[in-house]
Amino acid sequence: MQIIACYSNKGGVGKTATAVNLAYAIAASGKRTLLCDLDPQGASGFYFRVSPSKKLTESRFFEDVERFTKAIRGSDYDNLDILPANMSFRDFDVFLSRMKNGQSRLKKALRAVKGDYDVILLDCPPNISMLSESVFRTADAVVVPVIPTTLSQRTFDQLVAFFRDQELPAKRIHAFFSMVQGAKSLHGETLAQMREDHPKRFLAAHIPFASEIERMGVMRAPVLASAPNSAAGKAYMALFAELAVRIGMDR
Amino acid sequence: MTPAEETYYLPADRLADLTDAWPGGLRVMAEHAPETLPFAIRDCFDQSLRRSQRLLIETGGEVTLLTVGRAALHQKATPEARFVAGFLGGPVKAALADVSVLRALLVITSGQARLGRLSLIDSEGKTRVRAVLRRLEPTCGTPVVLITPQALRGYDRAYDELVSLIRGAGGVPLDGGNLYRMIDPQCLDYIAKPVIEVGRQETAFDVASDLIGAYIGVARANERGIIDDQDTEFLHDYRIALRKVRSVLSLFRDVFAPEQTAELKARFSALMEPTGALRDLDVYLLEQEDFYGLVPASLHDGLDRMFTHIRGERENAQARLANHLATGRYDKEITALDKLFTRRRKLTAGLNASRASYDFARELIWKRYRKICRIASAITDTTPDAEVHDLRIQCKKLRYLMEFFGPAFPKKDFEMILKPLKKLQDSLGLFNDYGIQQANLRAFIDRLDGEPRKLEIAQSVGALIAVLHQRQIAERAKITAAFAGFDSVRTQRTFRALFHDGEEF
Repeated sequence: MQIIACYSNKGGVGKTATAVNLAYAIAASGKRTLLCDLDPQGASGFYFRVSPSKKLTESRFFEDVERFTKAIRGSDYDNLDILPANMSFRDFDVFLSRMKNGQSRLKKALRAVKGDYDVILLDCPPNISMLSESVFRTADAVVVPVIPTTLSQRTFDQLVAFFRDQELPAKRIHAFFSMVQGAKSLHGETLAQMREDHPKRFLAAHIPFASEIERMGVMRAPVLASAPNSAAGKAYMALFAELAVRIGMDR
Repeated sequence: MTPAEETYYLPADRLADLTDAWPGGLRVMAEHAPETLPFAIRDCFDQSLRRSQRLLIETGGEVTLLTVGRAALHQKATPEARFVAGFLGGPVKAALADVSVLRALLVITSGQARLGRLSLIDSEGKTRVRAVLRRLEPTCGTPVVLITPQALRGYDRAYDELVSLIRGAGGVPLDGGNLYRMIDPQCLDYIAKPVIEVGRQETAFDVASDLIGAYIGVARANERGIIDDQDTEFLHDYRIALRKVRSVLSLFRDVFAPEQTAELKARFSALMEPTGALRDLDVYLLEQEDFYGLVPASLHDGLDRMFTHIRGERENAQARLANHLATGRYDKEITALDKLFTRRRKLTAGLNASRASYDFARELIWKRYRKICRIASAITDTTPDAEVHDLRIQCKKLRYLMEFFGPAFPKKDFEMILKPLKKLQDSLGLFNDYGIQQANLRAFIDRLDGEPRKLEIAQSVGALIAVLHQRQIAERAKITAAFAGFDSVRTQRTFRALFHDGEEF
């Protein structure tokens, strides 16, 4: 099983849209996928029309395996389930380690309800101080959308520094440029500069600034489901394909 | 927990009842594929798939097996394959491993199918449960829809809403009724061994007539399959049915007037007579594989030639029998016999006609049992084959009597005494088969005049006869042991209690 965290230490960068479309693409490739909605602001569950589960806001949630498995909802798409919780992060490290440990009660309970997943995708909240470093430690990949602006450049540098300070493997960071506007010369310059500064961290694929992505809130469906042939749809597919190779998901 | 997948069927015109509803405030949406695909539902003649709560359906290039309580299985279809053995390897074939290798999968109904999907959607536009729709439009018969609800995790209540909606619209679960009958009310529900109610006070005349009438029905049900040469079981069942009619005539002594009994025996014999040649050849071909295992590979060429001959002979015999069954003369005769036992006005009562069936059965079974014990106890290794043959016939008669009258006696006791009887019969049957096979093989060699490779064939057949002879001797030794099993004190007591209470053995 692989755990992929969608993370950004800056809001409004298209992180939830990325989590939603990546989850869709992974599931469509045949992997049993669980998308965990951990970001109360992003609400990836909203895009799948799944209502948030009120029960799961209680703090000792992860102790209660049965309630956890009961909170999972099937999406409208094959192989894709959603955990629509607004979770507290107190027990987040417990959650992750249990997801990884095949002998844990959580894994056994999931297996019993045929919810043993190949990939777990976390839509993480944008606050690094709140998020336990264990997410970075446990996740196989941390996918980071970056808008090519000076401000984003600084926050990305901070994330890389955090990894270095905590002695976390930087190669788990898979960054890509998000909301790219080809007409903006600043975007072009920042893009080139950042690729130069972090040559191995950035994927070649990037996601354009597109109305289809904006319209996800109206359509309440992943772009890959509502407009797969749009520029944004194709970009998400390219992102998925490249990431799959980088983290060995295609094996 | 996600509930097990279950399929329901309902007349297609009731689907509107589903789509017009708002179960639990959810919107029902049905979509159908624009194109139709040819479909065929297949089952054996005895509907062994339906009886084991399965539905085998070919749609387009795919074959699907729906099983109550299990997930649907799919694989590439092989519509030209008549037996499961001819299917491509796959999950459906594996799940059909228990289907008789002798029974062909017939087309129960066929036509055009349209696939679709039914969804229950909430106010957010989220699907809470969906179902696979298979709308079947048979070439002749009632259009039906198969609905297989598919639960989505976390929406169990919506699943339950959908199921009660389906049931409310007249949906029947696959194991809750007969889908074939919904499509075609005339669809034959074939049972090779019909259970005939036998009331204890019912007259022997009525029981005999009921039995004969029922078995004429069984025989007739198999005619089409023999003519079309669908599989060898049709002829086998046909012959057994006629044999049972004949045993009722001979075992139910004096139930009908003696002259009429003699006449009926002759008429049923005459019906049976043209079927023997084809059955013998069928048996050869069914044993083909075993025969190859009995002789060394160096003699297989001779067997190849033998089976080529036999296949040719079988083809002719089949054509002859098919022609015979299609004649007006045959139809007139069997229809007349059928009518005789349905209307019964022209049946003449014999001396035992009005006896109560229960007493009559006890007397017949007890006599037959005593006779078997007498013959069997005298059998040694040197007893002539003819006497062993006689024991086999007596056992068969006892078995038929017990089968005919079974419903009038306690089931548990019957099963207890049937078990060792079956074992004894198996042994006697093998002994007899080995003998008949040897005789038939010798007769086959005699028919080979003019065959240029006669010597080669004769060598192989000679080796085969030698092995069969050895087997027959070995089986002979087992018969005494099998009889000892049948002759246990417990079985004796049960026979006495059931059929001869209070009288001396």
